[in-house]
Amino acid sequence: MKIKIDGLECEANYGEYILEVAKRNGIHIPTLCHTDALPGQGSCRLCIVEVIEGGKNKVVVSCLYPVTNEIEVLTNSDKIRRMRKNIIRLLAARAPESEHIRKLKEEYKVPEEKRFNVDKGEKCILCGLCVRACEAVGVYAISSVNRGITKKISPPFEEPPEDCIGCGACAQVCPTGAIALKEFEGKRVIWDKTFELVKCSVCGNYFTTREQYEFLKQKYGLEAEEFLCDKCRKKSTAQKLVF
Amino acid sequence: MFEEGEHMIESILKRYPKERRFLLAILQDIQRTYNYLPRKALNEVREYLDIPLSSLYSMATFYRALSLKPKGKYVIRVCDGTACHIRGSMNLLEEIKRELSLLPGEITPDGKFSLETVNCLGSCAIAPVMMINERVYGNLKPDMLKEIFSSLGGEENG
Repeated sequence: MKIKIDGLECEANYGEYILEVAKRNGIHIPTLCHTDALPGQGSCRLCIVEVIEGGKNKVVVSCLYPVTNEIEVLTNSDKIRRMRKNIIRLLAARAPESEHIRKLKEEYKVPEEKRFNVDKGEKCILCGLCVRACEAVGVYAISSVNRGITKKISPPFEEPPEDCIGCGACAQVCPTGAIALKEFEGKRVIWDKTFELVKCSVCGNYFTTREQYEFLKQKYGLEAEEFLCDKCRKKSTAQKLVF
Repeated sequence: MFEEGEHMIESILKRYPKERRFLLAILQDIQRTYNYLPRKALNEVREYLDIPLSSLYSMATFYRALSLKPKGKYVIRVCDGTACHIRGSMNLLEEIKRELSLLPGEITPDGKFSLETVNCLGSCAIAPVMMINERVYGNLKPDMLKEIFSSLGGEENG
């Protein structure tokens, strides 16, 4: 079906989210909690757009709004910019230390917040993507704990998580860089837990933790005779196909 | 506290099928039995239901009715809703502090009393109100508290 986004005619499939259609057509909608790997989180509210349908206007979250009609979408109207500015203002009050949010603040000319007493070092906006990433890997090492103003993301008992395999998926999907992952001298530290990294048996680069390798081996029954990093595995597979 | 009744946890678990939807009910039973959620008990629940520890911890920290720290034998809940606040709930807290040297969120060293404030007990007509375990006390004045506590054996904390 045909929908109009900012005046541009776009082809959309029934049930497809507005954000996907916009992306495919090169129309930028700002997002924080969206990744293509885990779409539909819908918690940062940054991707709001105006939908005009049957002569009526409404504001929806584009990463969660399925196209079911021939609608018209405005991603950058005055109303949306005004509302988005407020959202950024609140996100910035919550996580002032995040580089990404600071940039958004500049872009939308959000004034410095004086009303709220905030933790200046905070980067987390509690979008929950990291928890979903950990679930998707199948590890379930972290979750949201407490509620209300004390809510945060943490491993159980706020200790280095027993179940964590150090894959770093949580840090990788985090839109605000709130999860610290450090690597040095063949070690990786995340959630205060230290992991030993293993080297690729071909190129000799560190590429994963032993725990992650064991986990994947068990889950997918990988062959264990050689440790190969992504690049070398691709090469070796390609060679096997050629010869 | 936990060791004494370790077999209790088994009998709690036996009451429920091994399904995740019974998690909250199980945790409530554990809370009732031990006055808190002992870490060992959480591990038992985790094994019984085969769910991640993180989801258990998430639930245990979410509900006010569940507690990871021991609560007293008598849990004092002082209402600090609007009606009770206006009718002097702060004076009750002040008196409890004097009588039992107890602040909200704390427990007496002998484990007898713990204190928390709640937002509304739904009995505004008899404000200010407090509950001790399941019993409700209404129309309270600070000087009534001493007698109530000593009837529960509070004089030792005196």
